[in-house]
This record gives sequence, structure tokens and C-alpha cells, in this order.
Amino acid sequence: MGYFDVPEINYTRYSNRQLAAVPLAILAVALVVLSGSFLISGTPVPLGMDFAGGAELTIQTTSSEEEIQQAFDVEPDSIQSAQSPDAQNQYIVQFAGIEQDQIQGLTDQAEANLQQDGDASIIQQESTASPGFAEQSQQTALLGLAVAFLGMSVIAFVLFRTFVPSIAIVVSAFSDIVIPLAFMSIVGIQLSLGTVAALLMLIGYSVDSDILLNNHVLRREGDFYESSHRAMQTGITMTVTAMVAMLVMGISGYLFGIGLLASIGIILFVGLAADLMNTYLLNLSMLRWYKFHGVKR
Amino acid sequence: MGPIAFVKTHWRLIMIVSFVGFALLALFYPGGIIAEQTIADEDAQIEQGPTNLEFGLGLEGGTRVAAPPVGMTADNLEIEPGTEHEVSSALIEYEYEDADIGTRDVQVRFDEDNNQHTAEIFSQDVTHAEFASALQDAGLDVTEDDIDDGVTQDTRDEIMETIELRINQGGLDGGMAYQEATVGGEYYIVTEVPGWDPEELREVLTARGDVRIDAFHPDGNGSHTNTTVLEGEDIADPGSASYDDQRGNHYVPVEVDSTEGPDGSNPADDYQQAMVDLGFTQNTGQCGIQDREAGTFNFDADGDHYCLVTVVNNETVDAHSMGNDLGQNMASGQWSTSPSFQMIVPDQQSAHELSVNLNSGALTAPLDFDREQTFSLEPALADQFKLYSLIIGGLSLLAVSGMIFLRYRNPKVAVPMILTASAEVLILLGFAALIRMPLDLSHVAGFIAVVGTGVDDLVIIADEVMDDGEVNSRRVFESRFRKAFWIIGAAAATTIIALSPLAVLSLGDLRGFAIITILGVLIGVLVTRPAYGDILQRLLTDK
Repeated sequence: MGYFDVPEINYTRYSNRQLAAVPLAILAVALVVLSGSFLISGTPVPLGMDFAGGAELTIQTTSSEEEIQQAFDVEPDSIQSAQSPDAQNQYIVQFAGIEQDQIQGLTDQAEANLQQDGDASIIQQESTASPGFAEQSQQTALLGLAVAFLGMSVIAFVLFRTFVPSIAIVVSAFSDIVIPLAFMSIVGIQLSLGTVAALLMLIGYSVDSDILLNNHVLRREGDFYESSHRAMQTGITMTVTAMVAMLVMGISGYLFGIGLLASIGIILFVGLAADLMNTYLLNLSMLRWYKFHGVKR
Repeated sequence: MGPIAFVKTHWRLIMIVSFVGFALLALFYPGGIIAEQTIADEDAQIEQGPTNLEFGLGLEGGTRVAAPPVGMTADNLEIEPGTEHEVSSALIEYEYEDADIGTRDVQVRFDEDNNQHTAEIFSQDVTHAEFASALQDAGLDVTEDDIDDGVTQDTRDEIMETIELRINQGGLDGGMAYQEATVGGEYYIVTEVPGWDPEELREVLTARGDVRIDAFHPDGNGSHTNTTVLEGEDIADPGSASYDDQRGNHYVPVEVDSTEGPDGSNPADDYQQAMVDLGFTQNTGQCGIQDREAGTFNFDADGDHYCLVTVVNNETVDAHSMGNDLGQNMASGQWSTSPSFQMIVPDQQSAHELSVNLNSGALTAPLDFDREQTFSLEPALADQFKLYSLIIGGLSLLAVSGMIFLRYRNPKVAVPMILTASAEVLILLGFAALIRMPLDLSHVAGFIAVVGTGVDDLVIIADEVMDDGEVNSRRVFESRFRKAFWIIGAAAATTIIALSPLAVLSLGDLRGFAIITILGVLIGVLVTRPAYGDILQRLLTDK
């Protein structure tokens, strides 16, 4: 087994513009994806039951997937067989964006039309949100994200008190959130409470590596490349370690059928990958410009 | 080295060791460090697992229903003290287009906290304009714009109190009701009950707890009529379900309210007078409309009947005649001086139900289930989740450990790092056990996030301390440690800022996640991560 070492990148070969081009292009693509999806479906990211209203049922039944499909008056958005090792004949059935009177009938329909598996209850887990409640959650989540982002930006400015390094942190954090959102939109992961938590967590994680880099470059002695290399040693180690932890949590969460952990894990994994790129290409190029051109000596 | 100097040099280590020790104590000391405060929880002790951890619905099973109360409010009303009753009469008598408003659908009260009068109407079928116009009829200066949707805090408090009484009766405990504010300023009443399914809970929440006694008596034209003679709120002191051995019937002992109202009468006198006027005191023992075996009622039975009909939530539960002794007592006017009697019901189940309804009282305002949110989980599946989340947490910790070994190769750096990260989780778990925070899946995600940020910080400390070769003096170490701590502190501040909206806003599951993560970051920055620096210094220098 090989050891994990942080590679040394020869930044001198690339201009600031070249370095920043890659993350900015990806950010632009992500924004295009989100606005395209907004134009087509009305929301940038598919909204899950938490934000669109609807129901998610975990049912245990010996009926086939086809029979489950037909058991309800409203057609389910998705039927997924639960992956957990102890659970056989378990399915997760999702309905998003349906009205409250439709939601209320779902459990009765399941109990009436599906075969019971031994003496286990047919409805193992039930989670519903009426459209009215979901709309409230949507507003609350948006407010939470906005406040969190604003708070983070203020802290960034308070910590470094200079414009370019601070705005570099804010821009990369913004991109760190937008890229996973676009990823969700493409792959079709629904925005749920769990994924919102992951996005907020990303703000925290993303800033870690940016602060580290800024701190090394601005507050330490030594030349730019030496300081940034040292920051990368530490920063890439911690981001990759966190990525591995999140990937393990995402995959095992999915396998065990625990949706909340799966979605938090996957979104954080994608976001942290975006953070690697944003920190060491976008933030670094902005810092280099600031260090060599921005400061009047 | 003297004891003071010892503490001075080792305070970081002493801190982490005592925190871990305290956490272990909080987790495993039987019964928990802080004793249970409520009596209801005593039964829960018995079924506790090996630790003092408590689990929420997502890991224990049960049902949660959140729904806003129905109603609208006018506040800042200029009502003369003592004339509240007239305002509510005006509200009841007003001709509403689609609504039939009764006594219990209106509430006029003085809000002591804000020193003002408020009026509320609990119906979805009344418009703001109608409510305003009804208040104008009562002589109040109110326009349509003064009417707000929603009910007062007093009403919500009463609703929650009633719900808690209802869900915690019947031997079950651990149920709770609380309110959550939304961004739009609306309030949801959230009810959580372990071990119940949604239908059961919704049934309890929809019942308004309406208990009344109707007098079923001949109307003089050959048939019978019902007159309501006693309502739930007239009953001052309901007892619990009881059984009368001699007569072989189930009953709930009650005492009728005998305090005088503003008009000088009292419910006990009124009830006694009604019984005399309607002829019940002369016709004791004459009731034959109930078939107790079949549990049916025949309100069209031939002959004259004088029945006291017990109605719970608009459903007839029992119809029985007035007892001889009670009749005599009432006829002589003696009864109202000690106005107690037995409400007879056919079986133990309905005695229990009646007692719950009487004791918990009516739900001040109904809940709007068109805007509800529910969550429910079977206990069996919850047990699986408990096991799986333990496995997932373990796997994540393992993955992190693997990465750290691969990166540092030096066990002197890696082993304490992993132990410190684990200590953080242990301290957090101990804290959760100490304050009896019910753990859910969202908390598990929080624990894993804490391990993530924890390892990030430990990596920063390790790299910083080992920067530029050997750490050979305490002074070098301290200065490097301080540099590392600046970064850690800054990162911690942003994480806390980013997650604090979630800890305050009501976004269901996410609050637990945010609280655990913030706590973890705090414990990490203040206790465990500094200690790791100390350990590292010792291992790297004291050779």
C-alpha cells in the first residue's frame, strides 16, 4: 500500500489568469446548470418532500414493486428497495409535491392494497409534510443559508481586514456551495433538510482551508511559494481526510438505507472536492496577485 | 515539582483526562449523574440500556405531529374590565356566513404580560371582516386590518398543557408537546410520543375533549328531547376511573363547580335546578334506552324516560337514570352544598377515556391538520438504525484513522491524534447523557462532522508543531502552538457562525445536527485539541 503524500505543484509555470480560469469556468458552468434547471422546472435543484410537500414511506411488504406502484391513488415519484442487510422486502416510496388530502390517504391505501410480510407492520416509517409546512421550511432554510453565508463573510473580513484575501475566501465558499448544488441538479439528488445541513457544514469546512492558506501566506515570513506549499501540505491532508470520512459515511449510509447520513456524506464529499480546487487554484491565484501586485511597498 | 507547578505545566492534560472521566461517569453511572426530575420518567429507567443515553424518535420509534392551531386574534382591545363576557356573547351571536360559533370557539382574555385585552375566534370559516364586524357590534373600535391569523401565547400554552396531559395518561410516558416558531411568525404545535403510531396520535389531537351531560326527557308532546345540563368546564374536580363493587358499574367521580359566576349563579345550583325543573328528581330510576349488552341506544323507545346522557366528543357513551338518593338530595336543595356525583359509564375503557377527557379539559383551539407535518418510525426499524448508525460512525472513524496513518507514518503522531478525536466524541456523548438530550440520526451526522473538523484541527496542530524540524524547547513549542491555535480558533468561529442559524431556526431534524456540531467544536477548541498539542510535545521532545 502506498503512502499518502501531498504533491508539490509548480505554480510558477502558470499565470494567475490561467490558474483562476479553471475554477471560474466550472463555477460558470454550475451557475448555467442551475439557471437552466430553474427555467425548465421552476427550481434550481429538485426539491424533496421536506421543501415541496409530500410523503416518504418505508414499507415492508411481500408485494412486488409493480404492485406497490399501483397501490396508491397518486403515482409515486420513486420506489427504492432498501439496501440494509437485515431488511428484506423493504421499500422506500417517495411522493413529492402532492396535496395534503392526497397525502392523508397514502397510509390507508398502502395498508389496504399491499401484502403484509409476516407480522411486521406495512408502514415502517412515515414522514409527511403538507405543502404549507414545506413552504415554511423552504423559507427558513433559505434564511438559514443566507445568514450563515453572511456571518461567514463578516468573520472573513474581520480576521484579515484586507479586501482581496477576504473576498477570496467568500468567493471560494460561494463556489463550494454552488458546485455541489449543480451536482445535485444533474444527478437528481433532491434538496432535503439533510442536504441543507451538508451545505451549511461546507461553509465551515471550506473556510478552514482558506484561512489556513491566507494565514500562512499573509502572516508568516518566507516567500510566497514556500508558505503556500506548507499550507497545502496541511490543508490538502485535512480536506482529503474529511473527504474520505464523508465518502465512507455517504456510501455506508446509502447501503444501510439511512438517507439523511447518505445525502450529507455525498454532498460534503463533492463540496470538499470543489473546495480543493477553489482553494488551491482560485484563492491561491488571488492571493498571489495581491502579494505581488496588490500591495504597494 | 510542586503541585501548583505540576498543574501549571499539565493543565491541558489534566483537563482532557477529567473531561473524559466525567463523560464516562455521565454515560455509565447507573441512573445518571443528575437524578430524574419527573415522576413519569421513573418507569423509563427500567427499560434503559447499558448507557444513560436517551434516544429520540428517529432512533427509538414513535410519532411526531406538527400542526398550527386554527384561529385569529385581535389584540390591544379596549374592553372595560368585567365586561369580557359581553364581548364574547357578541362574538357568539354574530351572524356568520358559513360558521356556527359556540361558546368554546371564542376566547376573550386579559393578557397580563402585555397588559392588554385580546379576543380570539377558533374557526376556519370566519373571515377577518366578519370577526372585525362582530367586535364592532360589541362596541369596540376594530377594523379588518387589526385582525391577525394565529392564536395568543396563552392559548398555545393551554393547548400544549392539554396535549401533554392527554398523551401522558394511560401509563405511557415520555410524550411531549412544544411550540416552534416559523420565519413567517407562525407557530406550530409539535407533539412527540414514543411508541405511538400516527393514527393514534392524530385521534388524541383531533378530539377537542368535549364532555357534556344531556338530560333526555319527555317533551310533553309524546316524544323526548335533549337538554344540555352540564358541560365539561362546569366540572371542578374530576377523579380517575373507578369501579363500584356493590352496584357493579364503572364510573368517574366528579364534583360540580359551585363558585359563583358574575351573574350570581353557579353551575352546581343551575344543574340542581335543571334536574328539578325537568322532572328528574321525581322520576328517578326511569331510563331504559340503553342496551348495555349490545352497547346501543334507542332514543325512540316507547314510554317516558328520564335519562342522563353522557356525551364525549359528540358521541353518546352512556345513558342512565338518576339514583334515588341523589334525586331526593337534589329535590331538597341539599345537593348543591356538596355537589358531587358519579358519572357512570359502561366499561373500564370508557371510564378511562372519560377521565382523560375531563382531566385534560378541552383543547382551547383545534389544530389545522391541513398544514401538518408528520414523522413516524416503527421501533423495530429504529433499532436497526441505532445499530447501523453506530457502524457508520465507527467506519468513518476508521477511515479517518487510516488516512492519518498513511499521511504521518509515525505512530507517535497518529495514535494520539485518533485517540484525541475519539475523546472528543466521548465527551460529547457524555454531555448528551448528562443533559438527557434525546439523540437522533441528525445528531449522529453531527458526531461524524465533529470527528471531521476535529481531525482537521489536529492536523493543523501537528503540522505546525513539527514545522521546521525538532521541537527542542518549551518556548518554541508554545509559540508554534499559539500560531496553530489562531487558525483553529478562526476556523471554529466560522463553523459556529455558519451553523448557529440552524440551532435557532425550527428546521426539525437539523437543530440537533447543528447543536451537536457547535458543542463539539467548542469542546474541541477549548479542551481536547490543546491537549493534543501537549501530548505531541511530550512525545516529540522528552526522549
